[in-house]
Amino acid sequence: MNPFERLRGRRNVDRDLADELGAHLDVRIEELVGAGLPLEDARQQARRELGNETLLIERGRDVWRFAMIEDAWQDVRYAWRQLVRAPGFTAVAVITFALGIGATTAIFTAVYAVVLQPFPFHEPDRVVAVGEQFVTGSLSAVSPGNFEDWRTHAKTFSDLGARRFVSVNVSSGTTPERLVGVAVTASYFSVFRIPAVLGRTITADENRAGRERVVVLSDRLWRRVFGGIPAVLGTTIRMDGHPYTVIGVMPPQFDRLGGPEEFWIPVVFTPEAIASHDGHSMYVVGRLAPGISTEQAAADLSIIFHRMKEQLPANTEVRQGIVNEFAAEVVGGSRERLLVLFGAVALVLLIACGNVAHLLLARGRLRSHEVALRASLGASRPRLIRQFLSESAVLAVAGGTLGVGAAYVAIPALLAIAPEAIGAIPRLDQTTVNGHVLLFALAAIVMSALLTGIVPALRASRLDLRTSLSDGARTLAGAKDTLRSGLVAGEVAVVIVLLAGAGVLIRSALYLQSVEPGFDGTSVLTARISLPEVGYEEPARVERAFRGLVERISQHPAVDVAAVSSSVPMTPGTNHNGLVPEGKAFDPSNFVLGRLGVITENYFRTFRIPLVAGRLFSVEDYREAPRVMILSRTAAQQLFPNENAVGQRVACCESGPDGAPLLKLVVGIVGDVRSNGPHAEPPADFYLPIQQAPAYTWSWFQRTLTVVVRGKTEGTGILTEALREAVRDIDPTVPVHGVATMQQRLQATLAENRFNLVLMLLLGSIGLLLSAVGIYGVIACFVAQRRHELAVRMALGASPADVVRTVVTHGMRPVWLGAVIGLTAAVALSQTLASSVYGVTPRDPVTLVAVVAVLIVVAILANLLPARAATRVNLAGLLAG
Amino acid sequence: MASKLSTRKDLFPGALELMVLQTLKRKPLHGYALVRAIQASSRDLLQIEEGSLYPALQRMLKEGWVNARWTTSDTGRRVRAYEVTLKGLKHLSGERERLGQMFEGVRLVLAMVEP
Repeated sequence: MNPFERLRGRRNVDRDLADELGAHLDVRIEELVGAGLPLEDARQQARRELGNETLLIERGRDVWRFAMIEDAWQDVRYAWRQLVRAPGFTAVAVITFALGIGATTAIFTAVYAVVLQPFPFHEPDRVVAVGEQFVTGSLSAVSPGNFEDWRTHAKTFSDLGARRFVSVNVSSGTTPERLVGVAVTASYFSVFRIPAVLGRTITADENRAGRERVVVLSDRLWRRVFGGIPAVLGTTIRMDGHPYTVIGVMPPQFDRLGGPEEFWIPVVFTPEAIASHDGHSMYVVGRLAPGISTEQAAADLSIIFHRMKEQLPANTEVRQGIVNEFAAEVVGGSRERLLVLFGAVALVLLIACGNVAHLLLARGRLRSHEVALRASLGASRPRLIRQFLSESAVLAVAGGTLGVGAAYVAIPALLAIAPEAIGAIPRLDQTTVNGHVLLFALAAIVMSALLTGIVPALRASRLDLRTSLSDGARTLAGAKDTLRSGLVAGEVAVVIVLLAGAGVLIRSALYLQSVEPGFDGTSVLTARISLPEVGYEEPARVERAFRGLVERISQHPAVDVAAVSSSVPMTPGTNHNGLVPEGKAFDPSNFVLGRLGVITENYFRTFRIPLVAGRLFSVEDYREAPRVMILSRTAAQQLFPNENAVGQRVACCESGPDGAPLLKLVVGIVGDVRSNGPHAEPPADFYLPIQQAPAYTWSWFQRTLTVVVRGKTEGTGILTEALREAVRDIDPTVPVHGVATMQQRLQATLAENRFNLVLMLLLGSIGLLLSAVGIYGVIACFVAQRRHELAVRMALGASPADVVRTVVTHGMRPVWLGAVIGLTAAVALSQTLASSVYGVTPRDPVTLVAVVAVLIVVAILANLLPARAATRVNLAGLLAG
Repeated sequence: MASKLSTRKDLFPGALELMVLQTLKRKPLHGYALVRAIQASSRDLLQIEEGSLYPALQRMLKEGWVNARWTTSDTGRRVRAYEVTLKGLKHLSGERERLGQMFEGVRLVLAMVEP
């Protein structure tokens, strides 16, 4: 019999069974009568022996169906009818689920895009980021010499590739454009094993001087600038004045590695660069050889260092190699912070489930008659449980669908909360609702349905007929409050954990807003200016151009003061040098790693960075004058602890005619600047006058400096125009890029922080609201059940205040318990926030106390409403009704 | 044995079906007659509950081990009689063999002399 015949045959099965059981009874009655029993007695005994006929028919029928599906369908239809009959209840439950599941799904889309989504190349877990531990002890970029050593000797990698960020001026059309790309070794492409979609990638041959003028375009750049036409292959692009031949275009997936680069050109290591082992500028990626772990690879690199140590110049000594998964390197701390958010949103979902569970419980109580009746009519216990679960399932599916739909719409809005967040969190721009997300949403729906359905289902199915039919409402009232009290306690605990997290993040955000950055950025405009190589080969020429630019822009009537610098707070383009006080050996063990700023005289005035001691630079510090430097307070402290740094000399940056490091006189000390953002400690800064910048630094900077302009008024709009004009006057082929006010740069640094903060605030408020509704619901239910008792008490002389006290005392009991549990959990979980908060400990007592206080106030309010309603109960009315 | 074994709890799964098949092998019977026949062959040791028998019969119909048809009983009543099919006989003999081995195994273990 096929399924359809079976369905059609259902009626026959029922009828046959009914007839069959009838015949069974007849035969038995006949027999009993034959044995001498009166007919009526025989009939009754036969029936008793046979048992519940309907149930037998149902069970017989069950055999024939694809029972699961059909039951489920029937249950769903039944549940639907029940829910439609209670629109208020249904709406609240569906909206609660929609909030919980929708928010969870929305955050999951971000978690998926940033953390879970596999990188779009072959075996992403085998690709690693490789760095070296140089002086500072943290991961740093790799020198070309070290990279070549590794490539030659390392057996633990099947491929090692290196890249260095470059930015070039491209003149296509009228306005020159600044593009970011990377200079790479040919092996860079083989590490990722992604071939070009058009043409080819770079060959090893092209990593040699004279052959390097070729470029591979990204899909993004190809479409944006070259219209996506294949004919671009073989054409020539002028980059920084040099002609580059387009040899290939990479597929779109290569754009999704998380970096900003838009093209690839060959990197060329000069024999001198390799031999010097200096200039830690290369970011190295590798593909691990089969069976090799990251630890083994790191050990391998360290051994190679050890072997090479004798051959290395003293000041380039590297301590060891560091190997991290590429994914971890790209995603970085965002991973942890997103997972914290995800945890928070899961808590919200948990609270939502708690609320719906309570609603179902309350409904289960109202429906206890119905349930008892159905049980007595032969509905089996599993069947009843299934029916209750179906109800929560229908609610969860409806809410989930609504929620996921809302998430689909809201995700662009979510990202719009902080457009900078897209820049700050890698791969966040790839956030979309995809198959994985839908699968997750489905799992969330199923879990929510089970969580909310199972307790009321089990509870309701345990009801027995007698208690329930003999006016259950009263007898059940006090008896089984533990379950609902447990729900309240659980919700309170969860919401405290949630609010504690949000609270600590708020404190951290307030701290970051209040931190003195060490400079005054109001009405300061910054922009990056890059001079091409062609025409600016001479350092003196570069210097003259920048000085000329500063002079010109300073003359603008709207400009108060202006300067250029190689290193501006929260702006790309930082370089570090080892500094050693005079008298100590110029050896990495004595290095203070200083952040280099090559500046014009008015840099400190522009940013209002205070002079602490000594003097600022002046025009007297010309090229041939004695070499001078200015230290930040931190740098001075590190180089000359407990000494006056002014007047001391520091070896750094370049060699004198005798080959020994050149000594520079410290002429001044300035205030510290939190260059990496308010959340980071100020680095050890040192500044050199632009006239005395070592020649090689211009290639480090790629002849790119940041112009900083302080306007006379708050508005910076006019400054942008002034700046562009000045640059045009100096050289019309030079683009102005990276234009931003200091305020914007500050905001961008805090973007991820703010993104997390806004979301946590949102989640915290939803959680608080939901739990308040939950507490209110439980107490309202409690009051409703005990209204007889309360009315009697009042009739016997209890004052309204007594009643309110009784109700609130009762209602707050689970809240206290939940608060204790929640506090314990919040303290235990606080460390998960460690990487997201600044200026406050994750288990900040102020926050914890505030959170508990807020919650208790909300809980008392949620209690008072129903409690006051209880005092208005009228005994006479109740008894009459 | 003081109390009777009830088919609902005291038998292992599938036992009822085997007894029904074995009983039907002799001649087709209707439900109540089956209850009686099994009770009689077990010398009243086994009490077949209708609550178990009728769903079991439906299962066996579905499996194709028995056929059912409406017929007239010895006393002239219209009853639904079940008869065993070839498939049912195969199942019975297979299960008998399996059961035989199982009981033999259990017997051997239980017969072990205590040290």
